Amino acid sequence: MKGLLIKDIKLLVKQQRFFSSIIFIAVVLTVVTDNPSFIVGYMTFIGSSFTLSSITYDEFDNGNAFLFSLPITRRMYTKEKYSFALILGGGFWVFSTALAAAVGEMKQMASIGDTLIISCMILPIMLVMLSIMLPFQLKYGGEKGRIAAIVMVGGIFIAFLIMAKAAEWLNIDLEGVFGSFPTMDGKAIVAAALIFAFVILLISIRASIFIMEKKEF
Amino acid sequence: MLKIEHLRKQYGNFSLDCTMEVQPGCVTGLIGPNGSGKSTTFKAILGLIHIDGGNVEIFGKNIGEITPEDKQKLGVVLSDSGFSGYLEVRDIVPVLESLYGTFDKTFFLQNIQRFGLPMDKKMKDFSTGMKAKLKVLAAISHKAKLLILDEPTVGLDVVARDEMLELLREFMEGDEERSILISSHISGDLETLCDDLYMIHEGKIVLHEDTDVLLGSYALLKVNPSQYAELDKRYILRRRKESFGYSCLTDQKQYYLDNYPQIAIEKGSVDEVISMTVRGEA
Repeated sequence: MKGLLIKDIKLLVKQQRFFSSIIFIAVVLTVVTDNPSFIVGYMTFIGSSFTLSSITYDEFDNGNAFLFSLPITRRMYTKEKYSFALILGGGFWVFSTALAAAVGEMKQMASIGDTLIISCMILPIMLVMLSIMLPFQLKYGGEKGRIAAIVMVGGIFIAFLIMAKAAEWLNIDLEGVFGSFPTMDGKAIVAAALIFAFVILLISIRASIFIMEKKEF
Repeated sequence: MLKIEHLRKQYGNFSLDCTMEVQPGCVTGLIGPNGSGKSTTFKAILGLIHIDGGNVEIFGKNIGEITPEDKQKLGVVLSDSGFSGYLEVRDIVPVLESLYGTFDKTFFLQNIQRFGLPMDKKMKDFSTGMKAKLKVLAAISHKAKLLILDEPTVGLDVVARDEMLELLREFMEGDEERSILISSHISGDLETLCDDLYMIHEGKIVLHEDTDVLLGSYALLKVNPSQYAELDKRYILRRRKESFGYSCLTDQKQYYLDNYPQIAIEKGSVDEVISMTVRGEA
């Protein structure tokens, strides 16, 4: 797996101009806007989404055929992609959280504690997004994978709408359920969301391994 | 080293049923026209496709049981696939070092220099010859036991091809247990390099012969209709109607030299054997 990580990092380094400009935009946005926490979601997403690009790089010019003739397994490859996404997303998350906390404190807009809570709320959202997008990218590749993931997110949204309508029809008080959330401790909500996201991530890894095992190159 | 028994794969109308073997210390060639099943066979050996039936064994293990450690003993060149073109040679050195415990960095870098390959140029900007040399170098730099080379000389000029064949000969001299399975369109490459040849046509192995026998005992008899009528046809493998009469492929050149001194007999070549096998009739 180390060899694959090195390969992806080398490919990432080739994109240094792109990433430099992302970081530059992030810093500027953090300083000029009144919502430094926004930058945490933005950068974490950009960072982890490079994994999707790395899958496209691997597929380019039928590269996967050679890649899977190397001493790796399909399972190792899948795990490496998730690890790469977590390392990159995690790295960008730490950087952007530090940036947002520093700017928030300097401009006296938010305390470090508040910024941290908001940053931690972003983590499970990113994990769930990755968990949805990676299997689609592995299954359908580049453009098709992105479209399929967007359709999937849209599908989830519609499913929630239908559930809300169904709850209304069944006289279930959803507002009451959600209204009880603010009484819960912020850390408890974050912890619960993280646990939920990790479960989704594990399911996603298993699905991706299954997809890769079935593929032909 | 490698044993394939009735490997089957169906793609629409195309059906592969391949049986062949690569012995330790041997260079075995797989030759056949486009779409005959060479690449499908290679992909099946490498576990890149799921097979419909049969058995593939490498180093005595079924292909499904092959571990990354076993794959470290393989060196692979695929004609239409390689490292990402966005990488440079200097980028793939640490990758190969991590993937192969026996990667010989000094050998690799020496040969990169020998063949004038740039370390800091994106591989997508390499010429066809440079790409081909790099692929072979990457395949032979970790003391592999078995090389699987699918069309490694495709698109190369004569000089580059000779350099590559020389590299493969040097590889074979390094260890008498090493083996190579190679496919090529260029029969000359295989005639000079291979110990034995398999010919594949429409997914079936139609001929297996030692290269020495093929070049020494096979011949093409050019006969007119009356000579053909009198010809002993026991050793005629294939025949083809020509404007002058018939071309006949035999694996008993000496018999016809001794008994039919009046007929034109051309020395066998891989090209002729392929041509007669594909276009001739039994």
